[in-house]
Amino acid sequence: MAGFEAAGAKLYILSYDEADALADYKKAHGATFTMLSDPDSEVIQSFGILNTTIAEDDHPWYGIPYPGVYVTDSEGIITQKFFENNFTVRPGAEQLIAAVKGDEFTLEARPATGEQVNVKIEFDGTDLPVGITRQIVAHFSVPEGMHLYKEPVPEGLVAASIELDHEVEGILPYTMIVPETRPLTLGTDGHTLEVYEGNVTLRLPIAQNGRAITKDDDGRWVSISGTVRWQACDAESCLLPEEESFNFRVPAAFTVMADMGPGEGRVPSMNGATHFKKMTARRKSES
Amino acid sequence: MQIERDTRGAELAPHQYEDSEGYIAPLPAGHGPRSNPLGAFPTGPEVGERLPNVVAVSSEGSTVDLHADRDGKPVVLVFTRSAVW
Repeated sequence: MAGFEAAGAKLYILSYDEADALADYKKAHGATFTMLSDPDSEVIQSFGILNTTIAEDDHPWYGIPYPGVYVTDSEGIITQKFFENNFTVRPGAEQLIAAVKGDEFTLEARPATGEQVNVKIEFDGTDLPVGITRQIVAHFSVPEGMHLYKEPVPEGLVAASIELDHEVEGILPYTMIVPETRPLTLGTDGHTLEVYEGNVTLRLPIAQNGRAITKDDDGRWVSISGTVRWQACDAESCLLPEEESFNFRVPAAFTVMADMGPGEGRVPSMNGATHFKKMTARRKSES
Repeated sequence: MQIERDTRGAELAPHQYEDSEGYIAPLPAGHGPRSNPLGAFPTGPEVGERLPNVVAVSSEGSTVDLHADRDGKPVVLVFTRSAVW
């Protein structure tokens, strides 16, 4: 939360819960963000993100959105949004704060044309909980007059990418966040490709499903390894494709869950079961 | 747009159901809170568009108009399934 304030952003959480349920949640967590109640899913429907795979008489599940996050600039224009098919996976705070701030990363002066691309690979976060994303971040400083390619590319060219090693079980990649591109038409065959120029930052959200955890005397850990690939070209020719591997070992954190019952990592005293019953009863009486 | 539900998964043990990505939860994939869409699904307004108006009741019981309330600041707006379950 402090991170959002420091970034100058306001954080709002909207759900189909009743207002008093949200008040209990805020109290239990000491939350300072604004929680909004949309019990008839009017806002959810106005955004067009009502989960329509759930039947109207399927209480109390009907009314939930396809969960996701919108990030705007100070004019209220959407600059990024985060939606994944798997609802277990939620974007981590680091990722949202990075979206608010934008990427201001600058390497030292850009290399001259024909020189190698400078690359820096980072893990944005301090841990990796189950089902909450952190990011592998690759910063490229592309030489003057040169560019990198965005996927997809024809055979013979290598697009800029971040890929996890396939043999690492339990670490999952999600939708890559990429900067704006410029269309470039190749003189040789008239293909138009999308290219990145200047200081380029690719962000690959990753999460773990619990199977990647290893334990030792110091705690529970996950190792995240993979490869960043790219190829720099100018209008005439290309440098050889390059790659750099990465390996980060970070603590595997617990994911805090609502208190629908006893169990490790659950949060006490937010009356989850009581509110759940109340919601079900109200909906049944209205239908 | 007819959205299909993702029911891929397996029962590992009583109350332990794995989905297609290996996440484990007490309900099977494709049931209740695990009604994940399979393939493309609507994600609302696009990047570059103005965030639509949001008027809703806050946890304190007051009506909040998001664009007025944000007071010229950037916004992170999270749509979550529930804060209760």
